Amino acid sequence: MGFIQEGFAQAVTLLVHRDPATYSAISTTLSASGLAMAASLILGIPLGYLLGYLDFRFKRQLRILVNTLLSLPTVFIGLVIYALLTRNGPLGNLGLIFSIPGIAIGQTILALPIVIALTATAVEAADTNLRKTLMSLGANRRQIAATTLWEVRLGILSAAVTATGRVFTEVGISLMVGGNIKWHTRTITTAIALETSKGEFGMGIALGLVLLLIALVVNVSLAGLRKRS
Amino acid sequence: MYLYQIRDADHFYGGKQVLSIADLDIPSGSITGLIGPNGSGKSTLLKLLGFLEEPTYGTILFQGRKVAPFSRVVRSRVTLLPQEPYLMRRSVFDNVAYGLKIRGDTRDLKERIWEALNLVGLEPENFARRKWQALSGGEAQRVALAARLVLKPNVLLLDEPTASVDAHTALLIRRASLKAREEWGTTLVVATHDWQWLYETCDSVLHLLHGRIFKGGLGCAVYGPWRIGQKEMLHKELEDGQLLVVPKPEEGKQMAVLDPSRLHLALPGKEPLLKWSGNMLEGFVIRLFLERNGATVQIAIKVAELVITLRMERNRVEALRLQPGKEVTISYNPREIEWF
Repeated sequence: MGFIQEGFAQAVTLLVHRDPATYSAISTTLSASGLAMAASLILGIPLGYLLGYLDFRFKRQLRILVNTLLSLPTVFIGLVIYALLTRNGPLGNLGLIFSIPGIAIGQTILALPIVIALTATAVEAADTNLRKTLMSLGANRRQIAATTLWEVRLGILSAAVTATGRVFTEVGISLMVGGNIKWHTRTITTAIALETSKGEFGMGIALGLVLLLIALVVNVSLAGLRKRS
Repeated sequence: MYLYQIRDADHFYGGKQVLSIADLDIPSGSITGLIGPNGSGKSTLLKLLGFLEEPTYGTILFQGRKVAPFSRVVRSRVTLLPQEPYLMRRSVFDNVAYGLKIRGDTRDLKERIWEALNLVGLEPENFARRKWQALSGGEAQRVALAARLVLKPNVLLLDEPTASVDAHTALLIRRASLKAREEWGTTLVVATHDWQWLYETCDSVLHLLHGRIFKGGLGCAVYGPWRIGQKEMLHKELEDGQLLVVPKPEEGKQMAVLDPSRLHLALPGKEPLLKWSGNMLEGFVIRLFLERNGATVQIAIKVAELVITLRMERNRVEALRLQPGKEVTISYNPREIEWF
């Protein structure tokens, strides 16, 4: 048990003394996940709205597909993105392999189905009288979409938080697409895996604490927004 | 000038016909009442008049032009208050302001919202900042109405606006709606079961049954089960043992409707105006209602489990000394019963 206590003590030291390697991993994680979340929200919210709002042929089948993608294993996404972005791959000339944008692309694929599915569910669960009310007040299609999304903002917020949690904590994509290169593409989770395998529990626990701290900040923010709404 | 002209409008939901109106004109500035049992097509007709949906077949002309949902002319002039209005998750002020804001018409916003809230009997100082969830059902209904009135619409469509509110709130809603017609010439179409709406304020009343306008008005709808009687007739045994005799319907029709203009009323012991075997029903008056014209009275008569409503000249009501509780006899010609 002693090494766990030592790990916690080391964690505090690393964080307080602003250890460069630790902060590099934190920075890489925030950059890659921030990019991925921005992309998945920009794409996922409108797509989720359309999936929840519109009635069209094969809608049910599309829902099943999106729900299936919720269970995509991160190592499988990593493998596919690696195959696409590697030097010899079809998109190898983009030079995105072992880069933060490369990790962000993989994480976007991970987060997008979550944002789409949960936004669609929130829109479907909106009061059936909402559309009728907005139309009867003179709203056009764009205004109906904007107001509906605003009305179901708590559901969308939950979608964003769920997707953020998944993106921050994944290892497979960061490891395979990023390559776990120190000072460059090493993220919190890949660093924890590496440091633990080396027996460096202090660094691993410090990074684990940072992940917990990020989760805490996200959830406190959500609670605050929920209260304001 | 007719505001609406409906021609051969048929509407279907999931392959089932819910509305069929061959010909209907609604004049500008009029108040039209819609009455009918649940599922008779009132809400569907209002949705079509509000251009929230297009009829599956046929046309609805607005100011002589064919318009489609989301067209600018409709969005700016026609508004519908649904039966269960939705208030957005924002303050009363923002709910009422929504329609003006999306039009970009925000001049004197506060004054206009104050005016609309006053019109529906809500004190702006007390209500404007309240959140949507801090309102009672009647207050929410009035906020929803204020959100429509602030638009000063050409057409205000009301779907059972007083169905779930107390008498005082119903009065405020009725008064505010009528003010819209007085002040801005708004055309009102109201689906309601409220007699005061229908017979004190409406210029015309349309009776809907199974999605069709029943020209006989008022009346009484009777459902089965029916038993086969003599001479190709059907019988329905009422709760007190009386028999209602009707002709056999066409295939698929299930509801018999007594046309009140063809019913005859007499006092017990007096000779009824018609004498048919099995076509007399005994009941008693439960309600008398003087119509807006002051010359005719509506009489609701309870016959076992049925309530039959007919209209009679006021002087004849006085001559017969009709009053609630008075026993009467209704006679009718079974051949004149309509099936829906």
